[in-house]
Amino acid sequence: MADKSEETRTLSRLSAPDRPRRRDILVCACLGVGILTVLMASGALGFGPWLAGALTLSALAFIYWLTALTTAEARPAPARAERRSPEGEAADVMLGRLSIPVLLIGPGGRIERANPAARAFLALGSEGGLLSTALRQPRVLEAVGAALKGERAGVVEYSALTPVESHVRAYVEPIRLDVPGPLPFRAMLVLADETSSKRAERMRADFLANASHELRTPLASLSGFIETIAGPARDDPEAQERFLGIMRDQTERMKRLIDDLLSLSRVEMNEHLPPSSVTDLAQLAADVIDSLSPVAAARSILIRAELPGGPALVTGDRDQLHEVVENLVENALKYSADGSSIRVSLHDGAGRDAAEYAETRLGEAASRMTLTAPAYEAEARYAAIRVRDSGVGIDRRYLPRLAERFFRVDGQKSGPTSGTGLGLAIVKHIVTRHRGGLTVESAPGGGSVFSVFFPKAAEPAQALETRESAE
Amino acid sequence: MVQGPHIVKAFSEELEQIAAQVATMGGLAESMISDAIDAVVKRDNDLAADVIARDKQVDQMQHDLEKQVIKMLALRQPMASDLRVCISALKLVTDLERVGDLAKNIARRARDLNAVEPLALTKSVERMGRLVQGHLHQVLDAYSTGETDRAVGIWERDDEVDEHYNALFREMLTAMAEDSQLIGPGAHVLFVAKNLERIGDHATNIAEVVHYLVTGRELTAERPRGAPLGQPE
Repeated sequence: MADKSEETRTLSRLSAPDRPRRRDILVCACLGVGILTVLMASGALGFGPWLAGALTLSALAFIYWLTALTTAEARPAPARAERRSPEGEAADVMLGRLSIPVLLIGPGGRIERANPAARAFLALGSEGGLLSTALRQPRVLEAVGAALKGERAGVVEYSALTPVESHVRAYVEPIRLDVPGPLPFRAMLVLADETSSKRAERMRADFLANASHELRTPLASLSGFIETIAGPARDDPEAQERFLGIMRDQTERMKRLIDDLLSLSRVEMNEHLPPSSVTDLAQLAADVIDSLSPVAAARSILIRAELPGGPALVTGDRDQLHEVVENLVENALKYSADGSSIRVSLHDGAGRDAAEYAETRLGEAASRMTLTAPAYEAEARYAAIRVRDSGVGIDRRYLPRLAERFFRVDGQKSGPTSGTGLGLAIVKHIVTRHRGGLTVESAPGGGSVFSVFFPKAAEPAQALETRESAE
Repeated sequence: MVQGPHIVKAFSEELEQIAAQVATMGGLAESMISDAIDAVVKRDNDLAADVIARDKQVDQMQHDLEKQVIKMLALRQPMASDLRVCISALKLVTDLERVGDLAKNIARRARDLNAVEPLALTKSVERMGRLVQGHLHQVLDAYSTGETDRAVGIWERDDEVDEHYNALFREMLTAMAEDSQLIGPGAHVLFVAKNLERIGDHATNIAEVVHYLVTGRELTAERPRGAPLGQPE
């Protein structure tokens, strides 16, 4: 639709006369000669001046005609476009439906045509501007420049790591158009998104490296215990019992580690594909609190929930969001002393700044750190969940590393009950996938607040109605 | 960021060309940062050499663009928003040229770091680098699209970079105090972090220029600052 209207606009622009046309020049020149002839006939002008005037006019007309010739040459092309064959039209429709970005770059690096996929991919406005403003990749621009001179440019790969990681392979081909003039070449630019395969490649390597590295320690201790049970402790049932208990804990830990690694890999794999379903964050938080209240009750920790009455709809995958909130509340429980309390609160419809941090700081010594955040948009609205624990707090210098995989703050207890060091890494990747944010505020001795925020879902009309009627 | 057509078509085109070339130069600077960080993280000497070589290109672009803008000022005497396009291009190329220099500096340090054993802190460097790169990317996007809100949003977030820098600084100092072997490479890492922090400052400068370019007013509010660098433990 948009393409068509643009095409008509281009056509009208091209056929609009912004220089005198041949016919106009001829008419003007004839009129001039006619006036001169009338003047001569009436005796006001001699033959000599008449001849000079007429010749000058014809010469001028000739020069103008020549210039008109060079500018008018663009016209046959749109005329041909109007009488396009059905095949040509089909090719256009195909280009429009194609999900791969395809662009045609004209002289000077101006985008002459871009299919809808390309418009979406490069976030182009309605009008085709210059390629260098839309795609700031020096190597692609170089290749396009070469193609515009008619040289073969070939394939260029580029990676953008911010705000969302993506790897793209750009195919650049020169196209010689059938237009006269010094610049017959256009460059065709095809962008192939290879993020998925690149990611899969790296995930596999990472998984193997992490798994082999992190499993080595529990495996070494297992084999040590097995040797002890088979050797020195062969006839000591009491020691065997104790060792078997430790071995059970270690295998549990290995199992958790592998589960977490797998879950992390799964999340990372889809990180570049934003979710499309809608989830009620308020309900989800209530569910998580319900499911974890037995754990809290066993350690007489009070979970205070501050949730608004209505739903808080965000764009997100329910299972993954559940994992995020569950992880945060579990962490809060883990690092709070028995008999203390934690607080889970939901803030709906907050702007970017309000979503990132609570209005009041934890204390004078509190420091804040954004672990991940989406690209800044002033109009975006978010729903944020904050989980506040009453633990010992985290030293400021460790804050940036919290979401690093396997990172542990020094002196943190390690043992069978401790986590795998992957919880916050998983949270971070899920949040990134949802184009949301994860922040932490911590005051040594005063506890920590972890906040996650997710973009609000566009409210469906029906839900709005039911809420209004409920009110 | 060029508004409305001019009677003289070539004038509009020249303004647009200037904006596009600033964006191209920005892209070049961005890619240099990205590759310089990669050179540190992946211990890639060839990539580092490539970044160092590309700095010449950035310098050349700055030179060309300045000449072009001066010519434009002399020949067309631009006014109002056109004048701001010219002035901000002059300011931006200076900032971007500095960013290129800093990226080159990081690449140089990368070569020195690659000569010694790998350090555990490169993850922190990478994280900080990606953050800074993201800030530069977003302010350059704001320059292309004219979204001042976005530029101001990044401008306000420079304290994140400072906070990362402070954390890295403290951690590195602790590590260096524990193991004197780390002092040499640790100093290089600290300089890499300092350079990244400066690139972040240039990104805020660019945000200020974008704000000026679009609104004609200066960003006057005091830029939020992270708490001052703590004493090393």
